[in-house]
Amino acid sequence: MTIIKKIIDWIDVRVGIRDVAAKELTGYLLPRNINAWYSMGSILLCAFALQVVSGMLLLIYYVPDADKAFKSVTAIMNDVPYGWLIRMCHAVGSNMMMLALLLHMLSVLFMGSYKKPRELNWVSGFMLLTLVQAISLTGYLLPWSQLSFWATTVATNSASAIPVVGPYLVEFLRGSQLVGPPTLGRFFALHVAVIPAGIVALIGAHIFLLKRTGVSTPPFGLKETANQWQGDSYRYEGHPGGIPFFPNYALEDLRSIAIYLACFLAVVFFDPYLFFPRDAFIPANPFVTPAHIKPEWYFLANYQTLKIFPNELIGLSLQGAAMTFLALLPFVDRGSERHPLKRPLFMTCAVGGVLLWIGLSIWGHLS
Amino acid sequence: MDNSSRRTFLGLCLGGLGAVAAAAFSWPLFRYLAPRTGSDAAGKVVIPAADVREGEAKFFEYAGSSAVLVRKRGGDLVAFSAVCTHLGCIVQWEKDKQDFLCPCHGGHFSADGSVTAGPPPKPLNKLPFSVSGDSITVG
Repeated sequence: MTIIKKIIDWIDVRVGIRDVAAKELTGYLLPRNINAWYSMGSILLCAFALQVVSGMLLLIYYVPDADKAFKSVTAIMNDVPYGWLIRMCHAVGSNMMMLALLLHMLSVLFMGSYKKPRELNWVSGFMLLTLVQAISLTGYLLPWSQLSFWATTVATNSASAIPVVGPYLVEFLRGSQLVGPPTLGRFFALHVAVIPAGIVALIGAHIFLLKRTGVSTPPFGLKETANQWQGDSYRYEGHPGGIPFFPNYALEDLRSIAIYLACFLAVVFFDPYLFFPRDAFIPANPFVTPAHIKPEWYFLANYQTLKIFPNELIGLSLQGAAMTFLALLPFVDRGSERHPLKRPLFMTCAVGGVLLWIGLSIWGHLS
Repeated sequence: MDNSSRRTFLGLCLGGLGAVAAAAFSWPLFRYLAPRTGSDAAGKVVIPAADVREGEAKFFEYAGSSAVLVRKRGGDLVAFSAVCTHLGCIVQWEKDKQDFLCPCHGGHFSADGSVTAGPPPKPLNKLPFSVSGDSITVG
């Protein structure tokens, strides 16, 4: 222990590491009535880190070439020792991360944590949602299976409904008129370099905003913090008398992460093909479209909306309007009340919206 | 049990569990990254005898590395690993001189594989082969 203490002393006299720890960890106080839902951000950080590590490992054997991609993924699954584990962690992890992200957003929504002065936290979080959707969509193509190929064909084709520039936009996205080797090159670059860099930058911005504004107090039980933001000037919303982040809440975070990992590993080991339809195991064939090709579960509502409306432009516009409304929610819903049971109009709309999304997803799955 | 010994005990338990979990993840990771043994194992390579003309050499892949078959002037066949024994570059066959040159550091080997000039410390490794009919089997 003395060696560790000496190393810490050596660093401390140079960069003042103990001051940083006291300010950011033991002296970083959180509301006393903070609940488990506040751990969703830590769970997401852990899930994203797992995606990065497993993705880097897959890069060792994956070949981003239309002639070799499917074979390389098959080799990872069948020939490389524990390759199946790394790939399953990556594939299952992407779905679980999306689920955790949706739960994080729902908890923020129902606890009213998006309200002023945290509008920018919500907007940056919403941008993260769209980037995670984009990284999932681009990653979907990489195994070059029938599912990858045709799901990407349908998804990119949606853009053709946009007036005037639509057809050009589709070709630009694909790198050619149809999905083909140029599409794989583009999606690969987006998936492993461009979008991850954007996600890392936005996570940084999201945490910066959280640290500058201060953690919101849950709207249940205790009263709001004494030094609440008044709108006149910048004020950090601290929680005097709250619990320290380290070790108190860090342990709660670890517990939540352990529960998440238990669920994640349960799927990886006991139902690894939960998110894999049959077409995911057939190499891409540009001449044979499989019947009933469907997107991932989190795009099923979008898919069904496009099917309901005969005019693709109307379907797309409705989705765009819904997404824009959600992104700008803190600027629309400006009341200060945050308790969900004291906001009947909000609760009706929010629960109705969630049920509509679930209903459309189930309809899309069964249709 | 006082608080400090309980704390030490729980710390040790937690550390032990962490170590087991780390080992459980490290082993698959190590196996995933380790070079695959067996896939490059020496199989036999069959080459048509007509592919190796007198005075010429035929390079091919053998046991995950490069190998060369030479039909010397006079018709004798020899087979070597084409990996230079100096620093592992692949040697070239100089048809006019009837010897091997390593382009990296100028090592020379005779058609029998022995070092004739330069830094290589050992002759080229000989490979077993057999001739039956119109084909040569290396390995």
